[in-house]
Amino acid sequence: MKKFNYTSLLAKADWMPILGVTVLSIIILSIIAPAFLTRTNLFVMLRILSVTSIVAMAQMIVIGLGQMNLAVGAIGGLVGILFGGMMEVYGIPVPAAALIGLLIGLVCGFINGALIAYTGINGFIITLATMSIFTGLNYGITESIPFYHMPKQLIAWYDSYLGPIPNIVFIPLVTAALVALFLFRHPWGRYILAVGGNPVAAELSGISVRKTTLVAHTVSGTLGALAGVVSVARLGTAEPTIGAVWLLPSFAAPVIGGAVLAGGHVSVVGTMIAVVMILLLENGLFIARTNPYYMDFFLGLLILSAVVFNRWRTIQSEKREASVVIGEKV
Amino acid sequence: MVHPMSEATTTLKPQAAKFDYVAFIIRAANVGGLAIIILLLSTIIASLAPGFLSPFNLFALTRNLAIDTVIGFAMMVVLACGHFNLAVGSIGVSAIMTTGFLLEGLGFPIPVAIAGGLATGALMGWMNGMLVIKTGIHSFVITLATASLFFGLMLILTKAEAFRNLPAAFNVLGKQRFLGPYSSMLFVTGLVGAALLILFKYSLTGRQILASGANPLAAEMSGVPVKRAIVVAHTLSGLLAGVAGVMVTARLAAALPSVGADWLLPSFLAPLLGGTLLIGGYVSVIGTLLGAILVTILQNGLVLLKVGSFWVQFYMGITLLIAVVLDRWRSYYAQRVGLT
Repeated sequence: MKKFNYTSLLAKADWMPILGVTVLSIIILSIIAPAFLTRTNLFVMLRILSVTSIVAMAQMIVIGLGQMNLAVGAIGGLVGILFGGMMEVYGIPVPAAALIGLLIGLVCGFINGALIAYTGINGFIITLATMSIFTGLNYGITESIPFYHMPKQLIAWYDSYLGPIPNIVFIPLVTAALVALFLFRHPWGRYILAVGGNPVAAELSGISVRKTTLVAHTVSGTLGALAGVVSVARLGTAEPTIGAVWLLPSFAAPVIGGAVLAGGHVSVVGTMIAVVMILLLENGLFIARTNPYYMDFFLGLLILSAVVFNRWRTIQSEKREASVVIGEKV
Repeated sequence: MVHPMSEATTTLKPQAAKFDYVAFIIRAANVGGLAIIILLLSTIIASLAPGFLSPFNLFALTRNLAIDTVIGFAMMVVLACGHFNLAVGSIGVSAIMTTGFLLEGLGFPIPVAIAGGLATGALMGWMNGMLVIKTGIHSFVITLATASLFFGLMLILTKAEAFRNLPAAFNVLGKQRFLGPYSSMLFVTGLVGAALLILFKYSLTGRQILASGANPLAAEMSGVPVKRAIVVAHTLSGLLAGVAGVMVTARLAAALPSVGADWLLPSFLAPLLGGTLLIGGYVSVIGTLLGAILVTILQNGLVLLKVGSFWVQFYMGITLLIAVVLDRWRSYYAQRVGLT
């Protein structure tokens, strides 16, 4: 019982600081900016959140494996325009088109995973290449022209409510919950974190690193596709530029949320809080009517200070643990 | 590596007399293979699109090549110690805007402006290096953050306004040709390449960077100042991004804040196609040059063949994929026959 308490406290401490900062920013923003807590502004933020959080989840899973998926945005963009094209050009009903879209993302992720697992080439290079391939396909097919006529049904679904909860809140929460269940409860999720923590040890314990790589990238690709589909619903058009700027937030959110780039440790709650944090920064700067150019600068500063803080905390806790171990031995 | 069979033969005749053709071919396959692919590709493109060998196209091609190679070098020097520099584009554009500001805003002479641009690049690279060694955080995360930071800083300071009235003498640098149609900027690239070749082959610092990449722990234990080597590599990377930036400014005859956003892919393409390892410890200057040549010719050829500029990125990705898979197969085969 005592041991359980200890671990739960530690788990809490993992994302406690960024939660504190986030809550504090919300309080400050709502006091100094009356426009912040208006319904319109909250909905603007939640609409962005519905996409960014899924993008972050897609990257987080591969980070857990100790790899990177540079192609998340490219998959999102490709699926987005194919999803739009299926509905506009071929008149495929929304649910069927969405399902096919997710399947395409799944296949893209599977291709990434298979190439990495069976060639042994670094995932960074493979996904750099497939990023270029998927983006190239996207631009080749659309010639940079969006599909404008999305079914009203799709946009209505996106703006609808599930009971009192708007769909735009429901989508990211369900996704995050499913990802958390998968990573921390499902065997394959555990395998991903085990391989990320120590591939050699995982292999020796009977976990197939190859299959785990395949699974992680397939799930990541599917989530990237989901983000693409949600993006189309959010924008009301299937634009080829969907996913073009996902690279930075996809890494920023998990890393601020406490994920270790070497793999083995990720935090779903931390990543979600980090997504909100980034969003608050953008929104706060927007409300404060600062020059939009400040955005990049402050986002960079936020990432830097968050990772430096995380690093400092890890070192502190390692020191504490070391002193505990020494204390026990003495 | 001594093969059990070869021991018997060495007693009979000197080892130098033996020339292992298989070993030579496999060793040369990386650079040689690229050269053959480039020759084949150029022949195909030249025969299909007569415009390929026109003086105008050769000038445009060599000018792009000169710049893309330096961008590739900027990434190569950090890959040497197993690091990344995602801020290459942001540093490049910061150097561009500094040069533009010094020329147009302050009216400084050209050499001073160029020096200012290069210094900005080197300073930003140095900051990357210091952040990496002081915090111990992966260079991917650090440079992801500083890419945003530097780009944001540049936008704040310039208000995203371009400098378009640069002195005419500066623009001449971008227009000059030699031996007929070739861009003189190739001289700059050649100079940088030669310097890097000497650095990594013969200088202590270069060897230290490579040693830090191959095995940081072993390097540290053998007395290599690993942290210093990392900072040097990052500073050099920033400096080279600055060189590329100044070259772009001369090419465009203007300092535009929109340059650099699309440098990420080319910066990795050239070194990776050229056989530079992502994990550090090995670089190939000639390989990077050949990688950049392949990319530039492919890009140029696809446009000339009217494949449509929209498909260019697709073929770039396919090329990178095929190249790395082939190279993987080559090194796998090399290991099987007892070479490393």
